[in-house]
Amino acid sequence: MKKILLMGNPNVGKSVFFNRLTGANVIESNYPGTTVDYAKGYMKVSSEWHNEACSKCAIKRAEVEEGTEDFEIIDVPGTFSLEPKDKAEEVAVKMLEEEKGALVICVVDASKIERGLYLALEIIERGYSVVLALNMWDVAEDKNMQIDIEKLKSILNIPVVPTIAISGKGFKELVLSIKKAASVEVKEIMEKVGEIK
Amino acid sequence: MEKKLSEMNYEEEGRVKSIEQDLKNKVAGMGIRVGKNLRMVTKHPLKGPMVVECDGAHTSLALSVADRIIMEVKK
Repeated sequence: MKKILLMGNPNVGKSVFFNRLTGANVIESNYPGTTVDYAKGYMKVSSEWHNEACSKCAIKRAEVEEGTEDFEIIDVPGTFSLEPKDKAEEVAVKMLEEEKGALVICVVDASKIERGLYLALEIIERGYSVVLALNMWDVAEDKNMQIDIEKLKSILNIPVVPTIAISGKGFKELVLSIKKAASVEVKEIMEKVGEIK
Repeated sequence: MEKKLSEMNYEEEGRVKSIEQDLKNKVAGMGIRVGKNLRMVTKHPLKGPMVVECDGAHTSLALSVADRIIMEVKK
């Protein structure tokens, strides 16, 4: 079964993602460090869902007819970087290292996008296939932040999906974009970004 | 004017001038890097951690960590 890791900074909504994707009920709270251990769950992406979404999205017929696919989803404690500073971060990094070949949904707080991208780049650098979820999109909008998703997509070359986990906005696109995730060379990203001062 | 991050006053703003080498990677993940603008939000009593704002996000730092970050403060 394909594995999906939910990773991101502390307090960006990974557990809300997990509950939404799997129907589980792990503890969510408005504090960083709520998840100190991991949780596992399962998600089934059914062909009907693909069919339904097909009219709106550019998914090929052949892919739709593949039928259902199961994913194991793992809720990972929040971490700022892949150099662990405490026990919870150690768990996060260890889990990532154990699941070579897993797909990573990197959850980023859109209103604090920079430090989220730092972690996302670290995960990409280690060769994982990443889908970037810009969560708390409504909060970023409230703060009058404008994020150019298309540009981010073209620079990172990975799927980028704006989401609002508590209301469920963007989850259909997120699940559909899982198939499009591929590992990218950090070198290529750096070339597009240019010199960082 | 140069001062340690731990010496900053309430609401004072400044630019990160230098960070001790072995600390650099540790705080980079929280968005604190050389050249970043920080604003001191609050300090906790009894040598507790201080809170700084960086790119709209609040981050708390132990005083021992803030001691090792040098800031360039306006005037």
